[in-house]
This record gives sequence, structure tokens and C-alpha cells, in this order.
Amino acid sequence: MIRRGLQKIVTFVLLFFSLQAEEPFRVFKTPSGKSFEGKVVGYEGKTFILTNKSSQLFQVPFNALSTSDKAYLVEAVKANRIPKGRPDSTPSHTAEAQGVDFHSQIMPILQERCNDCHKAPYEDNGRTKKPKAGLRFDTYNWVMKGNDGGPVIEPGDTDASILFEVITLPSDDDMIMPPKGDPLTSEQIDLFRRWILEGATEKPSGKVASATVAKKESTPASAEESKDDQIHKAPPKKVVSFRPGSFFAHVVVPLGVSPDEALSSSQGSKPKPGEPIDFDRHVLPILENRCNDCHHAPFDRSGRLVNPKASLRFDTYAQVMKGNLDGPVIVANDLEKSRLYSVLNLPEDDDLFMPPKGGPVDAEQIDVIKRWIEEGANPSKNSVSATKGGIPAADEPVSFINHILPLFESRCMECHGEPYVKNGRTIKPRAGLQLNSHEWVMKGNLDGTIVTSGDHTDSALYQVIMLPDDDPEIMPPKGEPLTEEQKTMVKRWILEGASEQPAAEAADPNAPPKPKAKKELVVGSVEKKVSLLEMLSKKASLPSKTQLLAAEKSGALVTQLSERNSLVRAEFSSFASDVNDAALGAFGNIKNNISHLDVSRTKVSDVGLRAAGSMPNLTWLSARNTIVSDNGLKSLSSLQYLSYLNLSGTKVSDKGLQTLSTFKSLKEIYLWGSEVTDKGVESLRESLPSAKILF
Amino acid sequence: MMTNFQNVDEYGRREFIAQAAKSCLGVGLMPMAGSYIHDSVKALTPGARPAAARHVIYLNMTGAMSHLDTFAPQIDNPKLMHDVRAIPTSADGVVLSENLPLTAKHMHNASIIKTMVSSQGAHQQASYLMHTSYLQRGTIVHPTFGSWVAKLSGQINRTIPMNVKIGGGGGGAGFLEAKYGALPIGRPGQGLANSKMASYLDDTMFQNRIAAAEKLNVNFTAEYPQKQVRAYSDLYRDAIKLMKSEDLNAFDINKEPDSMKELYGETNFGQGCLLARRLIEHKVRYVEVTRGGWDTHDDNFNRVANNCVDIDKALSGLLLDLEMRGLLKETLVVLTSEFGRTPVPNGRDGRDHWPYCFSAFLAGGGIKGGVMYGDVDETGRSPIAGKPIKPEDLNATIAYALGLPLNDVQYSPSGRPFTIAHKGEPLFDILA
Repeated sequence: MIRRGLQKIVTFVLLFFSLQAEEPFRVFKTPSGKSFEGKVVGYEGKTFILTNKSSQLFQVPFNALSTSDKAYLVEAVKANRIPKGRPDSTPSHTAEAQGVDFHSQIMPILQERCNDCHKAPYEDNGRTKKPKAGLRFDTYNWVMKGNDGGPVIEPGDTDASILFEVITLPSDDDMIMPPKGDPLTSEQIDLFRRWILEGATEKPSGKVASATVAKKESTPASAEESKDDQIHKAPPKKVVSFRPGSFFAHVVVPLGVSPDEALSSSQGSKPKPGEPIDFDRHVLPILENRCNDCHHAPFDRSGRLVNPKASLRFDTYAQVMKGNLDGPVIVANDLEKSRLYSVLNLPEDDDLFMPPKGGPVDAEQIDVIKRWIEEGANPSKNSVSATKGGIPAADEPVSFINHILPLFESRCMECHGEPYVKNGRTIKPRAGLQLNSHEWVMKGNLDGTIVTSGDHTDSALYQVIMLPDDDPEIMPPKGEPLTEEQKTMVKRWILEGASEQPAAEAADPNAPPKPKAKKELVVGSVEKKVSLLEMLSKKASLPSKTQLLAAEKSGALVTQLSERNSLVRAEFSSFASDVNDAALGAFGNIKNNISHLDVSRTKVSDVGLRAAGSMPNLTWLSARNTIVSDNGLKSLSSLQYLSYLNLSGTKVSDKGLQTLSTFKSLKEIYLWGSEVTDKGVESLRESLPSAKILF
Repeated sequence: MMTNFQNVDEYGRREFIAQAAKSCLGVGLMPMAGSYIHDSVKALTPGARPAAARHVIYLNMTGAMSHLDTFAPQIDNPKLMHDVRAIPTSADGVVLSENLPLTAKHMHNASIIKTMVSSQGAHQQASYLMHTSYLQRGTIVHPTFGSWVAKLSGQINRTIPMNVKIGGGGGGAGFLEAKYGALPIGRPGQGLANSKMASYLDDTMFQNRIAAAEKLNVNFTAEYPQKQVRAYSDLYRDAIKLMKSEDLNAFDINKEPDSMKELYGETNFGQGCLLARRLIEHKVRYVEVTRGGWDTHDDNFNRVANNCVDIDKALSGLLLDLEMRGLLKETLVVLTSEFGRTPVPNGRDGRDHWPYCFSAFLAGGGIKGGVMYGDVDETGRSPIAGKPIKPEDLNATIAYALGLPLNDVQYSPSGRPFTIAHKGEPLFDILA
């Protein structure tokens, strides 16, 4: 609470900084009762700079003061009485001159990183919570006291100080402290080291231990690089290694293959005498067996990224050749410069001897590596390992394992990886889409498959990576879009059949897609059906927007049959009962365009039908439930394409049917609810035998 | 020129390019998409062809209708059929169960898909899939098919809603604007509830109130010009239009003569179909009528026979009425349910859930008459001939008949693309 309040105040002060009156001398107390007389001359973060009467400067951490002093200081800062920062005369690092000060330098670290677990016992839910491991780091005495197992600080000896040991463990060690969050920074660790070497005193001892903190804060380039490599996925599964001689450790020999051949092509086999060393088969297995425990691909374990030691990865040819910031570890034909080789041959007690655990590498295996370097440190021949994780050559079929999966690993799996547990919560892949195996990739997600083999145009996977880079749907959503080579590689993989095993032949990325056969029978006989309308469409010119709007003034809805069809349908649907003959006058300008006219339920009468009669391309007319009668039909006689006529619920009688009998184009006539009789319909059917007449 | 382009915002520029391509090159899609459009897909682009049908009446048999005892009797295996026989229909080679004698007379206008399949075997999820073409999930509500139709085809009658659902809830517009969602009508006989203007309110007073409400809203709509906000004022405007419209009569089936009510059967479903026909006459795009009571886990054969009296009369009445009025050519009538029921009856003479094979009935606008699509193996368990037709394929077929663009992409608020029938393909074998 106070901390947060203070931070706010600090910002406040920062904004409205002005010169202040000097602070008076007063007595400050610590909660343990110690007192000090001085005046505040400044503060930096949570450390206050005090001076005593003889003008010596002291740094006091805010939290080391008593409650009343804290309140006083907060007030003072609020009231702008204390200047921010150190007084100029203060050496910016008093500690460097006097040694490390426990209260101002060590305690803040302990408070921030250790006191969550290692603090005074407290009540929680009526139960007394004791500090973990019986260790309290809330005062100097407690820190020095240690626990039942003895002290954790041995003044002057970092090696014997357990506290120092646990904070310097590798970040993936189970015992590292603090167990949560990032490890302490190298500066913080260095402070501890110096403090212990200087005697682990409460006040600066005056002794100054040399600062050896390596200024090898990783350069921005490497920091960025490691970030790029960061893959949030489940830690790699331990490869089951079988006891030598175990049944399962034997190489599987397929039927029809000679055992010798199978053995020689199996991974980890010994090279035959005189056989050139193959990286994949001979070298990589050794590295995997003896080096990859530490020199692995970075992975995420319980929220912390575990990077390979010394930034060296020995999991692919490309990574082995890449080396680290100190340069390559393999130099072809040069054993001396090949550090990977030289560290194997150091005396076993040398600090740099590799591997540090499990004894030296077999002489035979060292010889394999030696020969490989001497032979030029080439990638495997006839193996995709050369392009593994990269782009295959144009004539090389794309391999899912070696090309597609590494691409997914680096660009997609942060979101589309295996589900994993983080902070007790299962993190599922985004969109239900998991891309960490061929099976999952082909399975797609709830929206269906994302890959259609042989047809990149139907593969959502390809489409989303091809979107313009300002499209919100583009994948990957973070970072740069995939490169052209990568896009082409994915396209080729789909064209080559999108199978797990590489295809026999590389596909031409510019080849047309091979859509499934069923796609092609889409669209049946629709074209024929509308041929009359298509034909009529050509007789009229496309109506302009103004024309359509003018026609709609009448209250009609006028719509084109389709986008490029000049014919329109005109209908009165809203407030139909208010529409009368006059409304049809508004169609004068588009009378050639109207193919469908619906005046049903309106007040349109025989007079209005004259307007309909002047629409040469009319094929469909509904006058259902109007007062249209026999006389009106005469005006329709010039319509040579009229095929649908709905006169149900009109006043049309047998007399009108005689008029209709000359309309040879009619296919459907609806007369239900009109005044026609059986007799009239009978004679109409005789004159129009092919029409459907319903009454 | 270049600077002009840069001044225009991103969307405007793209739209411009698309428009230019459309008018100069005659392509209907983004130029980027042009490279992978098949000819078949071109036929599905917006506005590329006239619509065969303009309205849909979707009769939804909720609870899952037994397809065997209705539209897809298993004639070659009487063991599955109990005592239910098949009868010939007005179409050669098409048979229905004896429970549907009246509908049998209309089969020359109708097609039956016998190979419907669904991936969902629970009512709610399956019904969701049938209506939206997408699987139900927690993060999004998909628009129902009626809402898609309303969105993509537009309004014909400007005063009454485009999408109506009679009996049963649901039919929401999902992430589309609320105005495309279904107007729910609980009981067909009661018409549209709360649609009359209150008697004490005269017109001036009413106008004053509306004006006051609009004044209050001015600032808010100006500050939040989103489509969801606009949808609200649209809703008010439509409601006012509707209140004063004579088209309100469309919802009043009491205006129908008794003979008409008799034709459809005086049941809730029958009257619902009658109301649907009235609405279609008034140019409503999409009407769904729901009929429940099909979850026949026991006593299947009696219960289905009873239900069929109702739907047979209503369906045949609807088809006859539409035909006589000359509306059948432009109205697509669909009858189906979320899934089928087990071919082999269970121990209680009931049938349980069976999503692996069921049937859909389609008639009228855009549909070939007298087609029985696909065939089922002897055990009635799964399709053996014809493609399995998924819910999205059925919806694609309906959408195709309506002339709607199957590849028109609508984006959800989170920017995900959705289409009217997901990845469904129209079944051209039953399309005229």
C-alpha cells in the first residue's frame, strides 16, 4: 500500500518538481529501536539519503525505518520538501568506496525476491505460517542466523554460503532460488558475492572486493535472437534410451533388406571402415546422446525459458555449424579451431572439459567427429538434413518433418502448439488448431480442414499466409509475414500432396491446383433455364441507378434480376393497398427492362394493365387479388414473351379467357378465385394445350 | 495520383480497386482472390444469376422426426418398419410412409434427400448446426440461416420484417445486425403481440414522444456510430412503420375464411403454416414454423402417426394453397429436423437419436419435382448411394435456390470470416 502510494507520489513529485526548503535535523528510528540523528537531503527510489551533523552521507532504505518515520517521509515528499535524487556531493556509489552496505543494497533484494517465503511467522486463517525452511530474511540477524541446518552465510567464503550457492544455480535447476520469476540478475548476484567476500557485515566493512561481474550483458542482437527462438511449447520429451543389448535397442530390419544395409543406414551406427562420415547417421546421434541435454532447442518450463547452455544448440546441422557469439565451434578441416572437437580432448579435470557429466566421450566417437571435421564437416548427402529447417532446393520435394514442421515451430506453434499447463491452467491452442504434427495439421479445427492436398486454393492454411500484410486475418499475426520462399514452400508441399513423407517428385509451384473432381460438376443446367431471360436481357440496356430510383418513386421495389442482367422485377409490396394505376406511369423509362411485374393486392385496374401491355419484355405478371377484369387483358395481347399470368382473385371471367386463348406464349395461368367457370377453362385448355392452368 | 491514393483510407482504397476491377475487367471479387476462383465458384458470386426462389418456408420438426416413418420409409426391410407401410406418390418411384397420404399427392413438386447426415446427436447442438451451418461453441453466436437470408437478400416489403419464426424461440441474428434476426410469433392465432398503438395515445402525442426520444438519442448515436447502436434506432423506426402499416394484417390469420383454416387443419402447426403463407404473400423472405413433439423414445409408431395427421394436412394444404395462388414457383418449402431416429426400434417401441442418416423434404421454388436423392443401406444405418448431405450442404442448396452468394463473407466482431452455408455445397441433383 505505502509502496504504491509512494510511487504515485514520486511521479507526482517528478511532474511538479521545484526547489525546496532544507529539512531540519531529526531523530530517525528503526523498528528494532536503533536511532540515528540526521537530516534528509534527498531520495532515490525507495532509498533516502541522510546526512549527520558532520556531513557524512548515509543511505537508508525506506522500509528499514519505523512507521512514524515512514509517515513523516511520505509527508515530506508529498509536500515537496525533499529533493529527488542524490545531492551532487554524494558519490553515486558510496558502496564502491566503502564496500557493500547490507541495508541499502542487500536488504532491498531480499525484500523483493525472498521475503514472500522467508519472513517472520504470521497468522493466516487462524494458523501460524512459518517461514519456509525455517529461514527468515527480514533482518540482518536473522539472515546471519540461518536455520536448524546452520547458517546460510559464511562471511568471506561464497563457496560455503548456501544462500550464494542457491542463487547461482543454473536456471533450470530444481533448487534454484528464488523458485518463482526470473533468477536474480548478474548484478544482484555480484552484490551478494561482494558482500559475502567483504565479511557479510551489517555496515559497509570498508573492505572492497573486486567487482568481477562480467559485463557480458548480452548484446542487443543476441537478445533479439534468443527472443525469436523462443517457442512456448511443452518441454521436449526425454527420448527413451534403452539399455545396450536390450531387445528394444536393436535396429529394426525390414523384410527384404539385408541386415548389414539396415544397420548401416540406421541412425547412430558406426561408420564402416573407409566409409565417409555422414552427419545425420554418425555425428548427430553422438551429439544427441551426449550434448543435447544442455545444448538443446530453447523451451519453456513453468513459465521460464530454458535456453541452451552457452547459446549452443546441437540439434541440427545448421545449428551445429552456427556456433555461438564467440564464433563457430566447427571449422571444416581445422581440428584446432573446432572447439567442439577440442573440448572433448581436454584433460578431464579441465574446467572446459566436455561433456561435464557422464564421463568423456568414447574415443571411437571422438574419432568419428574428428574424421567428420577432417572430411570437410559436410552435411549429410542424400539427406534433407542439409536444408532442414530451411528452404528445400527447387528440385527437392518438400518434407513435412524437415521443412514444414520447423517453419510451424518457429512461426505458428506459439499459438498453435500442444496444449500445456501454465500456472495451473491448461493453455489450449488458438482456434482449436494444433500444428505440431502431421496428423493435427491435416485434422484442421472445428471450422473444417485447413489443408486440401493438391489444391492450395482450397487450403485455408495457404490462404491465410498469402493475405496482404495489413489484413487482420493474416497469419502469423505477429512479426513479419512469411517470406516468399516460405510461402512457396508451403504451396509446393500442398501441391505435392501434403503428406507426411516427402513426395517422389518436386512440384512446380506455378502449376495449377488439382481440385477434387467433384468440384467440377458443380453448376448444373441452370444456364439453360434462364436462357429466355438472358436473351431478353440483351435486348434492353442496363438500367441506370437514376432510372431505378425514379421508378421507385411510385412506391415500387425495382430490382435487377442479377448484377449484369438488364432486366428488372418491379413489385409493390409495402403499402400495396395504396397503390393505384397512376403508379405504373413511373415505369415509363424502364419499360423495356421490366420482365417481372407484380401488382397483386393493389388498386391497379384495367387502366393500369395498359401500361403493363407496353412492356415488351414482360414475362411474368401477377395481378392477383386486384379488380382487373376481362377488358384489361386485351391490352396484354402484344406481350410476346408473357409466360406467367396470375389472375387469381380477379374479376376475370370466361370472356377474358377467350382473349387469353390467343396468348400462345403462356405457360402458367392462375385463375383460382376468379369468375371463370369449368367450361371456360376447358376451352382455354384446348387452345393452350401445353400451359398449366389452375383454377 | 499516388498522393491521392494515400489520402484515402485503407478500406476506401481497396474498395476502389475492387470496384475498378469489377467495372473494367468484369471480375466480381478482389483481384487478389481472382487467381483461385474456379468457374463453379464464379456462378456463386453475388448477383451472378437470377434467383429461382424468393421466399422460404422452413418447417422445423424439433425433437428429431423419425425419418423412417415419414419421408424415408425403408421398403426393403420391414423389420425396421414395424407395421408402417409405404405408399406410392404422384411422382414415379417416390414412396412415402402411409402416414403421409395427402402429401403423397404433391410429390411431383418435391424432392427428398435421403442421405442427410449430421455430426451432432444432441438436440440443441444439432439444431444449432442445422440453423447456422456451424458447430456451436462458446466464443461466438452464429447467425441463423433466416438471418443470413435476410442479410444477403434484402427486404422486399419495407414495412414488415424479413425473417419470422412461428412457434419456438431462437432465430437470432448472431453477430449480424439485430434487424436480421427472426421476429418471434408464439401462437399463430394471436398474431403479432403488442403491435397495436395504445388506445389513449393519439397520433400527435405519439409523434411528440418519438421526437423527444430521438432528441435524447442524438448525442449518443453521434458519439457511438456503430452498427449495433444504429440497429436500435432501426428497430424503433421499423416498429413504428409496422404499427401503422396495413401490412400488419399479414399477421392476422383471422382474416382468412374458415375454409382456409380447415384446409391447413385447425392445429397450432396448421395455423402456423397458414400464417406463413400469409406472410409470404406479403413478401416476407423467410418464415420458420416449428412443430415439436418428435422425440419419440417410446411408443414411436403411435406418436409419429398422430403427429403425421397434423403435419400431413398442414403441409399438403400449404403446398396446394401456394400452388393455387401461383406462389409455389417462388417459394421454397423445406421440412426437416435436426437428425433422424434409430432404424431399429428400441425395447419400448421407440426410436432413439440417429444423426448418421435422415431425410429432408424440399418443394417448390428452384426445386426439381419427384426426385428421391440417394439411398440407404438395408439396415437403414447409413447412406450407400449419393453424397452424404451435411446440414451446411442443405443450407447451401437452399441458398443457391434463392440466388444468394455462397461465398459472401461476413466478419464477426473479432474479425473472423463466416459465410451463409459455411463450406456447404449445393446439391444440384435436386435443383431445377
